[in-house]
Amino acid sequence: MERSFAKEVKQLRLGQGDTFHGEGILAVTKALLQSGVSYVGGYQGAPISHLMDVLVDAEDLLSELGVHLETSTSEAAAAAMLGASINYPLRGAVTWKSTVGTNVASDALSNLASAGVTGGALMILGEDYGEGSSILQERTHAFATKSQMWLLDPRPDLETIVHMVEKGFELSEASNTPVMLELRIRACHVHGAFEASDNKAGTYNRNNVIAEPVHDFSRITLPPSTYAQEKHKIEVRMPEAIKFIRENQLNDHFEGDLDEVGIICMGGLYNATLRALVQAGLADATGNSRIPILALNVTYPLVADEISDFCAGKSAILMVEEGQPDYLEEAVNVILRKADLQTKVIGKGPLPMAGEYTAEVVLRGLAGFLEQVRPAGIDVEAATQPVRELDRHKARAAELLGDTLPARPPTFCTGCPERPLFSAIRILEKDIGPTHVSCDIGCHTFSTLPPFNLGHTVLGYGLGLASAAGVGPNFGKRVISVMGDGGFWHNGITNGVGSALFNKADGVLMVVKNGYTSATGWQYLPSTLRSRDGRSTGSSIEAVIKSMGARWLHNVPNYKVGSVMKSLRKALTGEDKGLRVLIADSECQLARQRRIKPEIAARLKNGERDVRTRFGVDEETCTGDRACIRLSGCPSLTIKANPDPLRDDPVTTILDSCVGCGLCGEVTHAAVLCPSFYKVDIVRNPNLWDRFKDGLHRKLLGDMARVRV
Amino acid sequence: MAAATNQAKPIGLLIAAMGGEGGGVLRQWLVDAAMAEGFAVQSTSIPGVAQRTGATTYYIEMQGPDGGDEGEVGARRPIMSLYPLAGSVDIMVASELIEAGRAMQNGFVTPNCTTLIASTHRVYAMAERTAMGDGRFDGAKVVAAAGNLAQQAVLFDMEAMAQEHNSVINSVLLGAIAGSKRLPIPVAGFEAAIRATGRAVEANLAAFRAGMAAVERGDLAALVPDDDLKRPWHADPPMVEELQHRVREEFPPPARAVLKEAVNRLFEYQNLAYAECFLQRLMPIERAELEAEGHGELVREAGRYLALWMSYEDVIRVAQAKLRPERQARIRREVGAKAGEPVRIREYLKPGLDEVTALLPGWIARPLLAAAEKAGWRDRLNIGMTVNSTALWGHFLLSTLASLRVLRPLGYRFKSEQVLIDQWIDNITRAAALDLDLAMEIAACQRLLKGYGQTHRHGWDSFNRIMTTLVTPALSGVGDSGADPRGAALTIALARDAALADPDGKSLGAALQSEPKAEIAAE
Repeated sequence: MERSFAKEVKQLRLGQGDTFHGEGILAVTKALLQSGVSYVGGYQGAPISHLMDVLVDAEDLLSELGVHLETSTSEAAAAAMLGASINYPLRGAVTWKSTVGTNVASDALSNLASAGVTGGALMILGEDYGEGSSILQERTHAFATKSQMWLLDPRPDLETIVHMVEKGFELSEASNTPVMLELRIRACHVHGAFEASDNKAGTYNRNNVIAEPVHDFSRITLPPSTYAQEKHKIEVRMPEAIKFIRENQLNDHFEGDLDEVGIICMGGLYNATLRALVQAGLADATGNSRIPILALNVTYPLVADEISDFCAGKSAILMVEEGQPDYLEEAVNVILRKADLQTKVIGKGPLPMAGEYTAEVVLRGLAGFLEQVRPAGIDVEAATQPVRELDRHKARAAELLGDTLPARPPTFCTGCPERPLFSAIRILEKDIGPTHVSCDIGCHTFSTLPPFNLGHTVLGYGLGLASAAGVGPNFGKRVISVMGDGGFWHNGITNGVGSALFNKADGVLMVVKNGYTSATGWQYLPSTLRSRDGRSTGSSIEAVIKSMGARWLHNVPNYKVGSVMKSLRKALTGEDKGLRVLIADSECQLARQRRIKPEIAARLKNGERDVRTRFGVDEETCTGDRACIRLSGCPSLTIKANPDPLRDDPVTTILDSCVGCGLCGEVTHAAVLCPSFYKVDIVRNPNLWDRFKDGLHRKLLGDMARVRV
Repeated sequence: MAAATNQAKPIGLLIAAMGGEGGGVLRQWLVDAAMAEGFAVQSTSIPGVAQRTGATTYYIEMQGPDGGDEGEVGARRPIMSLYPLAGSVDIMVASELIEAGRAMQNGFVTPNCTTLIASTHRVYAMAERTAMGDGRFDGAKVVAAAGNLAQQAVLFDMEAMAQEHNSVINSVLLGAIAGSKRLPIPVAGFEAAIRATGRAVEANLAAFRAGMAAVERGDLAALVPDDDLKRPWHADPPMVEELQHRVREEFPPPARAVLKEAVNRLFEYQNLAYAECFLQRLMPIERAELEAEGHGELVREAGRYLALWMSYEDVIRVAQAKLRPERQARIRREVGAKAGEPVRIREYLKPGLDEVTALLPGWIARPLLAAAEKAGWRDRLNIGMTVNSTALWGHFLLSTLASLRVLRPLGYRFKSEQVLIDQWIDNITRAAALDLDLAMEIAACQRLLKGYGQTHRHGWDSFNRIMTTLVTPALSGVGDSGADPRGAALTIALARDAALADPDGKSLGAALQSEPKAEIAAE
């Protein structure tokens, strides 16, 4: 991690009487410490990365409290950690990005859920859904129901979130069941405040260890225990959980003066729902709503009589449930049927089955609900007016702006060492034709976006090579697989390299090694030069691959597009079969800049010599065919209005944000483009020799110029 | 109770920014400033992968003591939304012009309540950057829309202002927010927030104040039209005075500025005779336009394209350009090199077979090229080099190349280009007699002759395909296109756009297929 969280760590030390100000995910972290956890683990990923990042920087605090922190190499490893809570009264929490992370963790989770827990076990899941998400769109809910793990979806304000974390551990212990707490992206990043309380050390922890092992076969997931465990889930754990939820009033019931209708919403959608009501003139900003609201901070299990009591006497309720399938709507319908209540449940329909429930989506859903039900005491026309205005307004905007605005998808950063690899593939394609490229998860997935549009499948983290196993043998050319160092350590070693070698696969693996899991925020890896405590762990990707029996292994210098192409050509066209591994090893430029900027600033301040390099384009010789941009896409390589009175088309230019990686120059050579690129070295704080050379050259060149004229 | 005894809604502030612009810091400044005033504040963001230069948003809601409580946690704190809701966004901040457009497209700028604060500078999106011709979105549309949709629109180039104070755009944006007076927060509050971050405080404060002053003055520059950025390359050399005189005497006013520049350029490119030949070539077009009662637009456009063609980029031209005395100064400015800081410039050159044969006499060049083509070496034979033009040897090499200028007319490429130019001129002249638009479109086809090596040959291919399939029939009066010159003009324009739509000529192929349809459409 090339970034310090010292400020955040301070917040974690707050105690009784202090007010915490900060981000949602940091509030969760603080709540874990207030709940007396003995161990925390997880795998980084938006939107929960900071939970781990901050704890990594909180070493001292953790050792005071005796908390063990595990920066797991995958979600499976993190989930398996919760095994500590099966036999021992240890509270533990793990975190990852759901639902992709939960997929990876599922093996351990199913076993954990079946065995049940003694100590509170909590999973903090970043529900990476909707705008800003970087993954496929699914719900965590299914995992909870299939394994009977309880699912919390707290209202998105810090007090409620913290309260639900603390209650989550109690619920887990009261019902011997691991508990999931899901937080949407905006809730993870919401900045707010809550009244802190003191941190607690767990009864047993690193500083006060467990003396004796506990053997209890009923906790082993092996028949016949497994049969007993399933019964226990249904007959004991579920009823205990429901009892706890009811007695502790984990769900919030907000009264309203209209009793004909009501709204049941997921806790996490409460604020959006209320904002919609405010806009429709049916609530005020402090939460007084005319329509009664039942906000489910626990979305599994549902408390049947809580639901039926709320619905009793109402002609219809609006079910605000984000995502699909509509598990909650179905469940509520079943509950009402069993309670023989005729209340209409209206949700999906006025509200969309798929997609994020923004305030606008809920507003439209509310309008649809009101138009359908037309409850007494509500001026439906007035309440739905905002939606009609919104439509009119958007139509006006569309008409004024005319053609659609250019999209702005993410792309490789300026000077990213991964970009040249895909430039090389694109240029090589011109010569030996295109082949199938099986991508992986990581920054390198941006190769699938313009300008490269390279890559045909993305199957999961570390699965780039594995997902080529079926294509390779059935494809006319040798196929390329991409894998980052993050993916490699996550599971690419076994599922990718191991499986490929074991099956004598014939293909090309490009390992993009930049030293961090960059896409999630530069967390360290086993192969990172510095590890958490500043020392190297000594794990080497090259050594691992060699030791697994790969014979063809090349290291390529990322920025030298020419030599990358040479190795790639060899790998793709070489005679003998087998797995060919290219390792492209170059540090993440963003992390690098973060590191060297202060160093350079310091050097300049001390008057020490420093050479800054950046590139440029001659506007007089650039004819603006953009071949250079189509083969790079670097953010600093862009266009500007053409200063030439004879030309209209914009001219290519390089912004001062250029970090001088040299790719554009390399590309013009490798692809034989144009002579407009130049590299500039600016010598800052020049020494005598620099000044002498410079002076001499100026003099001689000046003379030459005169001679020429 | 009945709804909304208290209708006071939190102030909603939405920030649209791009990764790496300090949007997060701007959010922090606003939150800190509001909290210092005892406001209840909530903010959220969706960084995700947008950190990697994509578009992202930050949303802040704040409510003052009047809106319920003293901002204490626990008290009757307003329930704040994590989502901006169209129709209740009070301040829409956009760090770039198209992002402002996006905000309007999503309905977040409404006349009932929204103050739009946006920088008018452009960070071009990938699609705009990779287009072969001009793929830029027309920013004027966004500016016009802002005037229509916002309650109050504050638009100016905040990026430029930030650079002036070597600060980042977020501090200018904060200044503009303060200047707009939409937030009940005193200026001192914002300044304190900037100080609290403790980084580049003085620069940020200066940029903040500049931004605020700009809004208060209200003298906000709109977009700068491209033409204002154009500047002549060359001072008039005394030798061309007579030619300049001819330009003034013999050519219509609309064309003069362009022709003046062209004459200077061609004089520098080759010699006085070459510049004179340029005017000579334009005479028939000038006459034809006159007869067709044109006003000089054709001769201006034809002159523009002719000058570009006659000054085609060969190694000599490139060497010349690299050696121009103004160049070093321009580059030093560009890279912000301070006085006394030595600057080394290395040129990335990769002359290939095309470049070399261009300078050889045809009887050597032709067989060489043919052989290379046959062996498939045409694009393989080239030498990549980085030449240090600020050092003696590199400079010497370039000046030697530049001095080959005198031999250029003996070269293979020069001769062939002149022949093609004359054919093209002849086509334009003949077309002018039929229809001025047709002549215009034929002239504009020179736009396709871009780039170097392979790219240039591809441009050539497109140019020829259009000439043979569209222009020739149109001029010979055969076929439907011959019958309808105006229709032919449109078809040619469409084909030219198609040729610039993709680098491999797919769209052009399609356009030439559907050519008759296009003509019917034109009728």
